[in-house]
Amino acid sequence: MRLLTAVLRTIRNSRRLATGLIVLAVLILVALFSPLIVKAIGGGQDPIELAAYDKWQVPSPQHLLGTDQFGRDVLAMVVKALSVSLQIGAIAGVISTVAGVIVAFVAGYKGGWIDNVLSTFTGILLVIPTFPLLIALSAYAKNVSLFQVGVMISIFSWPFAAKTIRSQVLSLRTRPYVDLARVSKARDIEIIVTELLPNLLPFIGVGFASSALGAIFGLVGLEIIGLGPGGVIDLGQIIFNAIGTGALTLGAWPMFVVPIALLTLLFAALNMVNIGLEEVYNPRLRGVAGE
Amino acid sequence: MKSELELRGVQQRFHARGVADGYVTAVDDVSFSLLASPPQIVSLVGQSGSGKSTIARNVLGLQKPTAGSVLYGGKDIFKLSRSEYDAYRRDVQPVFQDPYAIFNPFYRVDRVLWKAVKKFKLADTRAKGLQLIEESLQAVRLEPENVLGRYPHQLSGGQRQRIMLARVHMLRPSFIIADEPVSMLDAQVRRHFLDILLDFQREHGMTTLFITHDLSTVYYLGGEVMVITKGQIVERGPVATVMHEPTHPYTKLLLDSIPSPDPDQRWTTRIQVDELERLDDNTPVDATKPEAPII
Ligand SMILES: Nc1ncnc2c1ncn2[C@@H]1O[C@H](COP(=O)(O)OP(=O)(O)O)[C@@H](O)[C@H]1O
Ligand SMILES: [Mg+2]
Repeated sequence: MRLLTAVLRTIRNSRRLATGLIVLAVLILVALFSPLIVKAIGGGQDPIELAAYDKWQVPSPQHLLGTDQFGRDVLAMVVKALSVSLQIGAIAGVISTVAGVIVAFVAGYKGGWIDNVLSTFTGILLVIPTFPLLIALSAYAKNVSLFQVGVMISIFSWPFAAKTIRSQVLSLRTRPYVDLARVSKARDIEIIVTELLPNLLPFIGVGFASSALGAIFGLVGLEIIGLGPGGVIDLGQIIFNAIGTGALTLGAWPMFVVPIALLTLLFAALNMVNIGLEEVYNPRLRGVAGE
Repeated sequence: MKSELELRGVQQRFHARGVADGYVTAVDDVSFSLLASPPQIVSLVGQSGSGKSTIARNVLGLQKPTAGSVLYGGKDIFKLSRSEYDAYRRDVQPVFQDPYAIFNPFYRVDRVLWKAVKKFKLADTRAKGLQLIEESLQAVRLEPENVLGRYPHQLSGGQRQRIMLARVHMLRPSFIIADEPVSMLDAQVRRHFLDILLDFQREHGMTTLFITHDLSTVYYLGGEVMVITKGQIVERGPVATVMHEPTHPYTKLLLDSIPSPDPDQRWTTRIQVDELERLDDNTPVDATKPEAPII
């Protein structure tokens, strides 16, 4: 509850953060209601079925964004793909943030040899060229599911979260208020959760947003070279389709432009959240803007 | 009642880069004891970097010495049983140097007081807890309605440091370990704070280890003094004796370095509280005004 009010207060203090969150919320809502939206577009039939309509229709009141080479409604596909892209972001974001936070706290708070081992390991993962490995992994594991791709991407993105958060833990754990908690008989885990974690929320938020963004674009990258997970359409795949079929020359520009616009919007929104959080994270600023 | 806190041959080394043998000795074979009764004030005076804070951390059990031991009631504080540990934790309480950093900026200042109530089971109902908190705030001359519900940055340094004293007042420890508690306060607030410490000694029988680099506060508090340099205690005794007849060259140097080393010139008059309230930067900062000073 107290956490919630603190979060609300933070949001109110930054227009950028608020804008980013609102855009994000709208995109997420669209994704959440995507089955309903797709159904509404289809009006009784499945608009993403092969040969649901005539191929290569230009935008019209019936098909706002036209249809693709298989006669599928592009608007319906884009809505569905948005939800897939957000899912991969959420999966990879959650996994890498949780892994990063745990490693960061253990390493940063315990220090000593534990920190050395974990930091070395994190450091090695950080210097490994991620994308080629991801390509190799996807090529090797055929027919991977969306979730598996999410896990694969997380393997490479958690060290970024871990690294930033660890350095924050290191600077926070020697704060006098941690000493005060210790002489007040607080246990390590209690100190981590109640003294350190709340002050790290912005960094954790940034870690999540960056990992999610990385994963969404990672998947787009995989799709564009044709190595995405089977059975799902994400924004990258629509772009890949558009490029592969020369959709632009056929007047089906929305197939190319709309997914890219959505990705740009997502990128902008998540980055605004990132920057907004960093901006707001300063107790002095809180003072200026009132409680 | 466990009535003694003793350091026996305490040594604290830290790994350090760029030093001859790879470590610095912050505390070097330090031994002294503090008695709970009669309550006393023992000052530990030395320059910055002489190892004072490290000793405080050793005594508070925040840092395990590399050699020697800290004994509470005759037992090593790192080998206490559960119940002995609980008694030690309550009986030895700190006031730290930086009155801002001591508060987690995420929470209202009330939290440190409620934490004390809960962790040390001072009250079994919320109402009783609140009553205790208000009593202790009044004991350190703070108006509960001026501080409760506020965030640390909305209070002055003097107010924040007195909240720490209110916490001590609630816990009634036998020993207060005060690590340069007034070095970040200005002169008037400083005296106010010292008076409360003296009250605690007189009225609640608390013994204070008062760490400072400022000799005038040592004069003011009186009692015993220990002089530390480079991790070693080089001189100790009653304040008047040490100040009038220093035996160690370092103490002489220290005394010479202050402008008016006359111990009889120490502050003798107590300042009235209502007078102080005006001098103290006591008016809470109005945080909604953009020009409000922020610490
Ligand atoms: N955690 C630490 N790690 C390494 N060196 C330390 C640490 N804490 C203190 N020191 C060193 O120990 C010496 C004494 O420090 P400190 O006890 O803080 O002195 P004082 O409080 O008298 O200013 C200093 O040289 C300081 O750099
Ligand atoms: Mg110090």
